[in-house]
Amino acid sequence: MNGEHEPEEALDRLVSELRAESAPKLDWQRLEARLMREPYAKPPSIRERVFRGLRVPAMVLVATGALALIVVRRRPVPARLGAAPSKSLMARVASGPLDGNKLALGTHVTAGNQNVVIEHAGRARWTLEPHATAVVANSGEDLTLRLESGALSAIVVPSSKPETFAVEAGNTRVAVHGTAFRVERSGERVLVQVSEGTVAVEPTQAHSDPSFLLRRDSRGNFGLDGRSGSIEGNASVILRDTRGQSRREIMPSDGARLPTPRLSSHSALGARAALNGARVGSAHTPSTLEKAAGQPPLQPCISDIENGVTSAIELLNGCFRGKTQSASNRVSVSTGMSLSVAPDGSVRTVTFSPPLGPTVEDCAVIGLRKLVFTRSIEGVSFTRILELTR
Amino acid sequence: MVAALYIGQASWLTNLDPDRRQERPVRAKLAAVTELTELIERCKAGDGLAFREVFRNHRADVARLVLRMTGRPGDLEDLVQDVFLQVYRSIKDFRGQSRFSTWLYRVTVNVVLMQRRAAKSRPVLQEMPDEGVGNDARDLPDDQVARGRRVAAFYRLLDRLSDKKRAVFVLHELEGLSPAEVAKVVSAPVLTVRTRLFYARRELLEMLREEPALKVVAKEMMAEAGAGPLGETEST
Repeated sequence: MNGEHEPEEALDRLVSELRAESAPKLDWQRLEARLMREPYAKPPSIRERVFRGLRVPAMVLVATGALALIVVRRRPVPARLGAAPSKSLMARVASGPLDGNKLALGTHVTAGNQNVVIEHAGRARWTLEPHATAVVANSGEDLTLRLESGALSAIVVPSSKPETFAVEAGNTRVAVHGTAFRVERSGERVLVQVSEGTVAVEPTQAHSDPSFLLRRDSRGNFGLDGRSGSIEGNASVILRDTRGQSRREIMPSDGARLPTPRLSSHSALGARAALNGARVGSAHTPSTLEKAAGQPPLQPCISDIENGVTSAIELLNGCFRGKTQSASNRVSVSTGMSLSVAPDGSVRTVTFSPPLGPTVEDCAVIGLRKLVFTRSIEGVSFTRILELTR
Repeated sequence: MVAALYIGQASWLTNLDPDRRQERPVRAKLAAVTELTELIERCKAGDGLAFREVFRNHRADVARLVLRMTGRPGDLEDLVQDVFLQVYRSIKDFRGQSRFSTWLYRVTVNVVLMQRRAAKSRPVLQEMPDEGVGNDARDLPDDQVARGRRVAAFYRLLDRLSDKKRAVFVLHELEGLSPAEVAKVVSAPVLTVRTRLFYARRELLEMLREEPALKVVAKEMMAEAGAGPLGETEST
């Protein structure tokens, strides 16, 4: 035997011995029970149990810290990012829109008691409504958010490249082409409301199933599979043949015939739903959107709200400039303005946190009460962080 | 001539038969793939029973890979649990662009590497694998004791490799994945995987040469191999 080759042969034998080792034996039943007990929350591991003794002092420390925080700043919780948000991020959420380009892939964003606005400069601006959670599923060129719960609305800058922004809820993908829209995940349903532009709704995986095209002032109520649903307004169903190649568009109002036999059963269901506004799938329950057919929208559309906000900011800036006394110094104030809009479109209440000076607030309230939003069924409440300067 | 024709026909028939025989495994494979796809879809929809099925089907593979990556039986249960919790959390992100097993390998490798990185920042209780084997040695034949010692020594050897090299070595040499598959698991180009494999093997060989304890192991193995298949090959 050649001595130089000994280590190589020994290594090969070690590798083959290790390959031949049978799978390790574990107490699978115990492990399965631990896993299945509470799948969403991580069950305590052996390692964690060792450190359990340290839990009480740690909790005391955390409670003291939390109490101190509450005493120092009694403000609503703005947002939660990931498992442990850093202080700087919290501060930035409170003081204005968060820079979306700094959100890493997989970041969970959870809104607290107020809206969280995230801006991807030059591309899109999305607002996560209170208590909603979204995950950044793709932070690259094609920005994709996965809506875990609640609702979000977005204004997307039109782009020559299609589908640069998408929201996924379950297996339903809502892809936009430069638009303003709102997506709400409500149990097993996905409600989509489009204010501007066009939105395509389709399954997240294959493109061989019917897609729905929603245009301005249309809305849809879809299942989490992205295949079934009903649409209202200026919307249509795109039917593809079984090879997913040829496309045909059916508008709910043009009285088109039912799909030909070449089309899949899913397409047929989708088409019927689109044509009749009827229910698709056994699990479907009539939504607020469907109930609202022929009535004002559930809430004022995003563009209307944003226009109102712009007017409010101009008004406030005017009051701030006119009512503060400082001739030479530059003065800057940051405040959260909460507006509640009644169903008839009038401003019901307005609050500022932290409060502004009494004269500025009086001026602002008088002006804001003159603002009129679109009529809606529920009205709307929202909060914006404003930076006032003079 | 007739005989030739007959033989030709017979060979045509025998050529046909294997094709027919192959239909069954292909169908079975397709059925298995469909079944797995359905299972994953159910998991994505939050079906606990489907998740349990995935756990039962893949737990042994995951445990084996975790053990090979860490060489620490003491951490095995925790890590397998962590892997499946991670699977539960991120199965929604599985788009079917790669095989499920490849995706599962990737999750497993990532969980193990994260655990190792976290472990570097805290004190670790050193396991005494030799002692463990010694305790059981009373009931084990000598060759099994020696084999256990060799396996433990090899794990220590693997532990000295960098994370990246160990991952590709374990996946290729021990799990039998091709470099292309390993590349998908570790998200690196195939060429990089091949380079890492080359250097991992070279470092292991150097360790075998230089480490006195491992030299003994190598000698023991070679002595054993003298009567075994390796020795026979060499004598021919």
